[in-house]
Amino acid sequence: MASVELRGLTKRYGDVAVVDDISLAIEHGHLVCLLGPSGCGKTTTLRLIAGFVEPSAGEIRVGDKLISSPAQSLPPERRNMSMIFQSYALWPHMTVTENIVYGLKLRKMDRDTIAKKLNAILATTRLAPLAERYPGELSGGQQQRVALARALIVEPETLLLDEPLSNLDANLREEMRFEVRRLHDAYRYTTVYVTHDQSEAMTTADLIAVMNGGKIEQAGSPEDVYDRPRSEFVARFIGSSNVVKGKAQDEARIGLAGVPLRCVGAKLTPGADTAVSIRPHDIRISAAQPQASENAVPATVTRQVFLGGSRDYMVELKDGTQLRVVTAAGEGIAQGSTVWLVLPPEKCRALMG
Amino acid sequence: MTIAIPATPASKPRKFGIDVSKPVLLVFAAILCVLIVMPLSWLVYYAFTDKNGAFTVANFYRLVSDADFLDPLLTTFALATLSALICCAVAAPMGWLVARTDMPLRRTVRLLVTASFVTPPFLGAIAWELLAAPNSGLLNQLYREITGASPDSHLLNIYTFTGLVFVISCYTFPYVFVLVANTLDRTPGDLEDASAILGGSTWDTARRITIPLALPAVLAGALVAFLQAMTLFGSPAILAMPAGFHTITTKIWSLFQFPPKPELAAAASLPLLVLTVMLLRAEHMVLGRRGYSVVGGKNSEPRIVRLGPWRWVMLTVAMLVLMCPVFLPYFALLNASFSKIASHLVSLNNFTLQNLHFVFFELSATSLALRNTFILGILSATCGTVLALVISYVTTRKAVTGYRVLGFLATAPVAIPGIVLGVGLFFTYTRPPFVLYGTLWILLIAFVTLAMPAAYQQMQSAFRSVHPELEDASRILGATRLRALWQITAPLLRTSLIATWCFVFVGVIRELSAAIMLFTSQTKVLSVLIYDLNESGDLAAISVLGLFMLIITFSVVALANSLRGRGNARRNVAIG
Repeated sequence: MASVELRGLTKRYGDVAVVDDISLAIEHGHLVCLLGPSGCGKTTTLRLIAGFVEPSAGEIRVGDKLISSPAQSLPPERRNMSMIFQSYALWPHMTVTENIVYGLKLRKMDRDTIAKKLNAILATTRLAPLAERYPGELSGGQQQRVALARALIVEPETLLLDEPLSNLDANLREEMRFEVRRLHDAYRYTTVYVTHDQSEAMTTADLIAVMNGGKIEQAGSPEDVYDRPRSEFVARFIGSSNVVKGKAQDEARIGLAGVPLRCVGAKLTPGADTAVSIRPHDIRISAAQPQASENAVPATVTRQVFLGGSRDYMVELKDGTQLRVVTAAGEGIAQGSTVWLVLPPEKCRALMG
Repeated sequence: MTIAIPATPASKPRKFGIDVSKPVLLVFAAILCVLIVMPLSWLVYYAFTDKNGAFTVANFYRLVSDADFLDPLLTTFALATLSALICCAVAAPMGWLVARTDMPLRRTVRLLVTASFVTPPFLGAIAWELLAAPNSGLLNQLYREITGASPDSHLLNIYTFTGLVFVISCYTFPYVFVLVANTLDRTPGDLEDASAILGGSTWDTARRITIPLALPAVLAGALVAFLQAMTLFGSPAILAMPAGFHTITTKIWSLFQFPPKPELAAAASLPLLVLTVMLLRAEHMVLGRRGYSVVGGKNSEPRIVRLGPWRWVMLTVAMLVLMCPVFLPYFALLNASFSKIASHLVSLNNFTLQNLHFVFFELSATSLALRNTFILGILSATCGTVLALVISYVTTRKAVTGYRVLGFLATAPVAIPGIVLGVGLFFTYTRPPFVLYGTLWILLIAFVTLAMPAAYQQMQSAFRSVHPELEDASRILGATRLRALWQITAPLLRTSLIATWCFVFVGVIRELSAAIMLFTSQTKVLSVLIYDLNESGDLAAISVLGLFMLIITFSVVALANSLRGRGNARRNVAIG
């Protein structure tokens, strides 16, 4: 086990920087999620770590060892890593057993050791009854477990996962999320996990690195990126968020529809256009004017939907700003009513850029 | 969801509700039976009867006891085995080079292999006569020029068993090449990456992953190459008969020359048929249980091996290989077309257009053969495509009971060598009630039958890519099955249809082995004319006709390819 460190990692294809100056330190035994929409460079980052792609600039270190830099790059087979591919990449001409023990055979282990390890992993992944099947004869979830077994049995220093759940149906996906985390807790390999699904990231990760346009927008614990987003992209990508814009009045207030709105987060530059995010369920809505007037804004209900467990409002401020508000299902306020919103200052986060 | 939809008056059933689909489908099934079952039945009948129509196995006994027949059988076997081995040895590495390395000009190499693919083998054989006949061959002349050897010595002699194996391999190796290259193209790079990340070196990965994955393609290719070499008529007729030996196909042909021995020809055809069926079964089994379909996920880029300085060496080797089926023969044909004497190099005082003039304006057979070829090409392509369309529709949509039989019948001719079909058709259509011998009809039947398996396969895969619900949507709105087929499915299949048409057309204009059994003086086609001219030694005229044939072929192939490229965008919508 070792830590993995990316320093100024960059990959350019022609003029386009697919991965743009990424730095990230992954403590050993941690599970890091690279989270982002398709085309954000997360898979390329993973393939850089694996050694399938060579960097244009920057370096990758595992422990103290330099494994990738523009000048030299250790080939994938000498990195002592394992990877689960999005397509699983199970070899169709080998049985489940042959697939799984492949890495051990390459390491020239003796028969008994191989058999022992094989039986252990087959039991863990509940594949024993399928050991002699060919991959083409397995269901998606079974194939995924074979891929997992094949990657884990070699006891790698680092485990890389490239959207390993994206080919599964919804129920199985949910189940396998916890499975991935359980196996990680059991073996504690340093793991890099690529996904575009934020709930997958939330369930599995110690650290989430949200990527966009080849850069890491924010890296932090799941709570960090959810509660304290630093950019509009992160606020919108992780859960849904209202992002309102206004001119900063002082270091902690912006003007929103004529009302000063106090917020937390980055220090504001007075006079600058500033974006502030607030989650729909953090906004309080009431028919009467609230007593404390801080961050209270009048609005009109333009749409109201009963969702069983909650109510979903769309409201409009005087200046035309639309906000989504989610409340308890309790009592409904009719469409067209005038209401008061309270946006608690500690939930209003000023965003950078 | 709204449940209480106000009841609308049920639309009346269509008045003229007779769905003619089923009868039409049955007619097509009947056609298929006539095309395939009848000639084969007559073939078997003749093989097992004597002159008086009594049952006998004497024909077969003679086949295995008489050296006259046994030798060609053994020759054919040796020929096919050697050709298949050579094809694999050359084509498999080449397929890997173009699919998985950074060798320069990979696309060009692929194109050139395609060129040798569409070159009719008999034309290649004639071109190699021009190059390597012992005395007049250009390469032998060059050899004598350089070494100063005596005028009667020669370096190469194409009229030998070795020469025949060589020429056949030249035009058979594309089968292996295409299979291997396509398989490697389709094998996702992930499979190799997965081996690398688990610690497999480049060599480990090649040995344990890449080669095993490509092996079925190589084996299948070898079987196809064997089949081709075994059933070819043109090349052995041109190269083996002057050398004084026979293969099984030329032997069958000679049994129809005077005095004809049709019962022996029938008996000699049957082993060819049986062997073909067995080989095709074997090819099927090679794939086996492992089901070499790639599972799950989007395909990743194939992993490219960097050859470093070797890339230029490899390119040189590939180009040297391509000298044999493409550069040298084409050069020889071009040279002969414009030279006063076919065996002399074209020079300023030797250049002539006389050959072109002779072929197109003086040779009376040309216009007849061209007319016949085009009529047959267009008719066969049209009939074949329509037939394939309907049959593949029935089998993919399981439209009538017994659709499997239809599918089987449509694929069956793949196992019937051209010459065997020629023999069968000869028996069928020289007797009442269908006396078609001597007409173009018999050739049309032969060509449609031979083209059926490939056309059927193409149409079937096209059908699979069009979701049946598109058609169901039309039927639920009141269209009959045929109308749905015509208005919905057919437009979506247009590019595949045209491609199939082109494919059949090209196949027809180059077909020789069935045509040679069935032509008469009034129904000569281009390929037969070329063969005849070879008998009379008119190599210049052959070269002109051969090049003309190649030009038509390449234009049609290019047309089909460009259509396919444009059609893809529309097709994708239809799949989704």
